[in-house]
Amino acid sequence: MSKSKNNKAAKVATEKRDALLDLLKNQGAQIYNDLDKGKFPQFSVPSRSVSNIVYDKKLRQYILGNAASLRSARNMSQLRSFTQLMWLAFFANRLVHEKKSSTLRDVYYSSQAFEVEFEDQPESDNIIVDLEAVLARPREDFHIFPEERSSIFGDLTIEYTVPGYEGKRMRLSDHPDGYLIGPSLSSAELVDTSAELVIAIEKGGLFTRFIEEKVDKKFKAIIVDTAGQAPRATRYLLKRLHEQMKLPVVILTDGDVYGEHIAMVIKSGSANAAHLRELTVPDAKWLGVWASDIDKFKLPTIPMTESDIKRIYDLQKDPRYQEGIWKTELEIFLKIKRKAELEAFSKYGLTNITDKYLPHKLELAKSL
Amino acid sequence: MSKEVFNQISPSEFFYRNRDLAGFSNPTRSLYTAVREFVENGLDACDQQGILPDIHLRIEAVDPEKPDPKPYVLTVKDNGPGMDSKQIPLAFGTVLYGSKFGLKQARGMFGLGATMAILYGQITTNKPVTVSSSVDGKAMHEYTMMLDIQKNKPVIMKHKQTDTTKKGLNVSITLDGDYSKAGSKIRDYVYQTSLITPYATITFDDPKGEKFQYKRIVDTMPPAPTIIRPHPHGVDVETIRRMIADTHYQVPVLDNAMIEKVKKELGLSKKNLNFEGIMARAEKKWSSLSRPVRVIVAVMSFLNMDFERIMKIRLEDIDLIHKRLSYYDFGDAKLVTLEMPKSNPYYKQLANTVQGDSLITFLTKRFQRIGQATAIKFAEFANLKAEKRIGSFTNEELVQLSDSLQKYEDFLTPDPSCLAPLGEEPLKKGMQQFFKPDFLEVYQRSASAYSGFPFVIEMGIAYGGGIPAGKMTVYRFANRIPLLYDEGSDVVLKVVNETDWNRYKVKNESPVVIVSHICSTRIPYKTVGKENVADREEIEKELRLALQYLSRKLAAYMSKRGLAEIEKKRANLYLKYLPLIAQFSTELAGKNKEPDYKKVIKDLNNVQVEEQ
Repeated sequence: MSKSKNNKAAKVATEKRDALLDLLKNQGAQIYNDLDKGKFPQFSVPSRSVSNIVYDKKLRQYILGNAASLRSARNMSQLRSFTQLMWLAFFANRLVHEKKSSTLRDVYYSSQAFEVEFEDQPESDNIIVDLEAVLARPREDFHIFPEERSSIFGDLTIEYTVPGYEGKRMRLSDHPDGYLIGPSLSSAELVDTSAELVIAIEKGGLFTRFIEEKVDKKFKAIIVDTAGQAPRATRYLLKRLHEQMKLPVVILTDGDVYGEHIAMVIKSGSANAAHLRELTVPDAKWLGVWASDIDKFKLPTIPMTESDIKRIYDLQKDPRYQEGIWKTELEIFLKIKRKAELEAFSKYGLTNITDKYLPHKLELAKSL
Repeated sequence: MSKEVFNQISPSEFFYRNRDLAGFSNPTRSLYTAVREFVENGLDACDQQGILPDIHLRIEAVDPEKPDPKPYVLTVKDNGPGMDSKQIPLAFGTVLYGSKFGLKQARGMFGLGATMAILYGQITTNKPVTVSSSVDGKAMHEYTMMLDIQKNKPVIMKHKQTDTTKKGLNVSITLDGDYSKAGSKIRDYVYQTSLITPYATITFDDPKGEKFQYKRIVDTMPPAPTIIRPHPHGVDVETIRRMIADTHYQVPVLDNAMIEKVKKELGLSKKNLNFEGIMARAEKKWSSLSRPVRVIVAVMSFLNMDFERIMKIRLEDIDLIHKRLSYYDFGDAKLVTLEMPKSNPYYKQLANTVQGDSLITFLTKRFQRIGQATAIKFAEFANLKAEKRIGSFTNEELVQLSDSLQKYEDFLTPDPSCLAPLGEEPLKKGMQQFFKPDFLEVYQRSASAYSGFPFVIEMGIAYGGGIPAGKMTVYRFANRIPLLYDEGSDVVLKVVNETDWNRYKVKNESPVVIVSHICSTRIPYKTVGKENVADREEIEKELRLALQYLSRKLAAYMSKRGLAEIEKKRANLYLKYLPLIAQFSTELAGKNKEPDYKKVIKDLNNVQVEEQ
């Protein structure tokens, strides 16, 4: 455990926080000055419309194009959302200053203390995405978290930065149920690990099975439960594990089109978050379950639904699905029109997946 | 003529028997009608003399404790020219006496209504009418009198003369009325009359002790109408017959007075000449002689008589068709008929005089806006000889003339100078004062005509402000009289109701007032009650055009108003959100004092003002 590494990480975190606070202050000052000059304040918000979402091959993720819309307090139809956005920036500023965290739902209710109305939570969620786009920072940076929580387990030591826990360390293999990836864990410094690999797995049930089967030890792995589509905090953590701890990331999902896309989002982001750039692990690898595995491992299957098939057609238009396994697996799914869940391996015994499938796939991954 | 005896009834008696025709059917209606007649007479009298009217109406119950209907004393006082003392008994004590027979716009038609009211008062309460008048502002004559209904004669009970300082007329009658029922109509009447007569001050003391006063809003009176000749489209055979009788000369009576007149005009009052001398003198002075004198001279020429001779005969007939002249000779006591040779230089003169004007002269002189050229063209159209003397027309020819006058389409439209519309400016000021609206527009159409009667439409539309929402209100006026009853069948309401108000952004419950004023020498009322105007095509069209013009203006205003309302909402939104933005940005920017965001809102208000 090197102290210098720790200090450096803490420094990075502090710098990042200060940069965000500066950004908020600058935005606030700009609006303040406009008002003081008797001008209607305005700022530009990068456009998040479909036409402005482009795939950047170099970054290997979706990013926003150059289109931006001007939001002005003069425009009556924008006045309300302008005020909401201002409030959110103000609220985020307080959260970051006071090192407090909030959830999407919490934000919706907090607004009411300031006479800023949101029709419903989707409206406030949308404003949060706007603020992300304006600041080009994920909401987790300004301490706003979704309700959904995913978990982590493995030999990883972290150091908390949240008030009251500053400096306190924790080994993430001490509790057999794993640890929630919440605000305090997301903001903690990554101190040390003996692991050589990160396995992200789509399902909580399999996550528990992997812990029971000591996959962490057998494969020197940190196990992450994405609980379906990986939340941003989880993706951010995966990125840090990959970049700061130099750990390769592999992904295990159900054998269907949604599973394939869960892996893709961890690897290269989602169109929904095209305005954010620090959430992807471009080197992450999808281990399975592939469509081709269904036949290969004689897995029990269930038929695809209409919406499964439609989703395949949709993804076939996505530039990221134009090559490699991404392309071929999609084609096979479309051909067999059947899917298999991770639990399907249980047909051949509860440990079949960890004993047989996983080693096989990890071996295969080296050549991917 | 048959010897059968007809019982002639006097006009008073006729109206007494048919009083409901004139609006005196019951105590409620009668009280209202009486008020109208006296107030309108007062206004008319002032209008005609160009005096800014000051009308004071007072109704008092004789015994306030009695239940309605009961006797009321109705008094109307004006500041008009007054009436000559000698004329008062005839004017107020007989039916069908009036000074309004000319062809021009006036409120009442014949001054008949006032007498009817007096008559009604007399038969219901048996009380006399009191009229006091001053024409010079010094002496006042007061008459107390009743009508002898059968004889149509006034019975003067009292006449006294007192000193005064004010000109004008004061009429007071006692009549059976029902103010509890008629009150609201009378108040409406006074209110609406004041609206259409903004140059008058009208005061009303009602029997309950309430005082309603509508002060003068404008100090200028609309120009008084002029009396004009009739338009050819507006006359019938009977009118033509009267006009002809009026123009052509009756065979003169050769009495002493007439002979004296002839002598005087010839300059022979103190000098007698023989026949040749008279003829020579007449020839010399011909151009200065009056028409009757010319006829006498012509007759003397035919008969070869001097003054002495001619005084002994009576002219019987001048028969131009057979060129015969007949007279009764008192001396010989016999009827003499002799030929009138056309060769006689006086033949033409006599013929012309007796037969009246030629058709062309008749048309150009007696009708409005007919010139020589039009008259000639018309004669061709009517298939009548242009030079034919009007007095020699046969019955058939008269009917032909009358029909053709109706049918000929190339006459100029009737002369509107006999009309006295209120004018856009006074109407606008009146409406402004009465309704205090947010929007007001008035419009006067140019004159038009129906059946030979000229008319002018004036209209005003007002929106919002002091006007209560709920229902569109239409005030109808004709010749400055408010029309209060029978609105259902009125042409103005027909036009208003047929308008698609949605097109003009006006809703049913919008606060809208429409004032419509029809001015004409003859308003085509549907009923004798004179409360609703018939839907004559020409009038309907003019009303429609006026209303369309005003509605378009209103629609433009409504659009603007809509914008203004959006602006207002907008300003409210700014007021709601800008303080919040200021608050949040202050904390974000790390400042202590909030920015002066009010400047932004101030600028916004300026923008609004400019836009309006």
